[in-house]
Amino acid sequence: MLIHGYYIHSLIHKNHFKIVTLIMRSFFKFVKNKGFMSEKKNHEDQKYIEGLVANNTFIIQAIYDKFAPKVINYIKQNSGDAASAQDVIQETLITIYHQATEKNLQLTCPFDAYFFLICKRKWLNQLKKQGNKEVTINEEVLSKDDDAQELAFETSLFEQQHDLFKDMFEKLGQACKDLLKATFKIKSMEEVAESLGITYAYARKKKSLCIGKLTKLIQESPTYKNLKS
Amino acid sequence: MQEQDYILFEDYLSGKLDSEEKVAFENRLQKDLEFQEAFNTYKQASEFLENHIANEEKAEAFKSNLEAVSKKYFDKEASNRTSFKGINPWYYSIAAAAILVIGFFFTQQFSSPVYDNYANYGTISLTVRGTQSEILSKAETAFNTHNYEDAAMYFSELLKTDERNMELQLYKAVSLVELNNYAKADALFNHIIQTPSVYKNKAIWYLALSKLKQDDAVACISVLKTVPKDSEDYKQAQELLKKLK
Repeated sequence: MLIHGYYIHSLIHKNHFKIVTLIMRSFFKFVKNKGFMSEKKNHEDQKYIEGLVANNTFIIQAIYDKFAPKVINYIKQNSGDAASAQDVIQETLITIYHQATEKNLQLTCPFDAYFFLICKRKWLNQLKKQGNKEVTINEEVLSKDDDAQELAFETSLFEQQHDLFKDMFEKLGQACKDLLKATFKIKSMEEVAESLGITYAYARKKKSLCIGKLTKLIQESPTYKNLKS
Repeated sequence: MQEQDYILFEDYLSGKLDSEEKVAFENRLQKDLEFQEAFNTYKQASEFLENHIANEEKAEAFKSNLEAVSKKYFDKEASNRTSFKGINPWYYSIAAAAILVIGFFFTQQFSSPVYDNYANYGTISLTVRGTQSEILSKAETAFNTHNYEDAAMYFSELLKTDERNMELQLYKAVSLVELNNYAKADALFNHIIQTPSVYKNKAIWYLALSKLKQDDAVACISVLKTVPKDSEDYKQAQELLKKLK
């Protein structure tokens, strides 16, 4: 009887434990889905991103010393040379810089994988543009890190959008460019109006219309349609 | 979209609509997809302009600094490759160099560490396009040619107008160490270490080197122990620690 009782007791105990773990598991799932906890902690390599934003020469040098060789190797193996690697790396770091300063880029994976993926994608795109089909994709150096894939993809989208906006801004007329430059540098529309010798009301209207023109140019470009799909 | 639509977008974004107009605007956003798409693009374009124009100078400074680092790295890479292309005569010199390195390594292992072996500050690059300053480039040249007396003077001059610049403070402190002006140098390092700047870890390492140069092994060891694991000098710091113990 006593043994029996103990058995039942331990059974209850076991079930109890199961239930508790079940509840806890669903709780964590819930928390994760809702994003209550900072589900993905920043990777320690975030220091490289911060170093780029701070324009820290030490960190930039460290990035070249640590991460450039792999990219150079890859590009050389795929019909490129050191000069093309130099350009690809430079462009990639500029893009990361912009994304970090404008969109507060948070690294959730090693910088190595992220950086390599962006450089690789950039180089393959260039080869495609040149119509060169001799590309050997070395699967071994491909990263299997999901976070890195996702982040690299986001960065390439950011870059395309950033380039598109920049190109379209250049297409605006000089008057619009001057007005917008003054607007976003001086911030106060009263001062902008004064510096350009126009009325406040007209400056405000002009600002809307110039950004409107930019909006139109962006929406009409083929890149915009690609980005949307 | 019509001209008045863009004016409406701007008024909405800058909070110039009254509550009734705001509700009407938001209703239209929900129902009219074309309107919504144009508004989203307009908003993104505004954000882009804000960042792009406000940060233009900083971005330019970053670009030129990046170009300098990149050029230096790739020049070095190219010269490394060509110097190993030579065939026979080179093997002898490589062998000789290897013997020297091994010898150096052995003497290193069995002798007490010396400041000069660790004091490798490299060349610095402070000048950026757009904000070219004569003193800045003079400071840079003086530092890179190991003329620390002039370098310290120029850094002090620069810090008069830019007193919070941690990079300048760091190099000034290094110059002071080289000039055996330890009290001032160590105080500067300690100041940098207290701040959350990106030069913090470098300052810890350089402070340790200053203590090494002062033959103060006890202080050196205690500073070395504070070099964090993610510092790029962590390995060197551990190595030096082992030798000092």
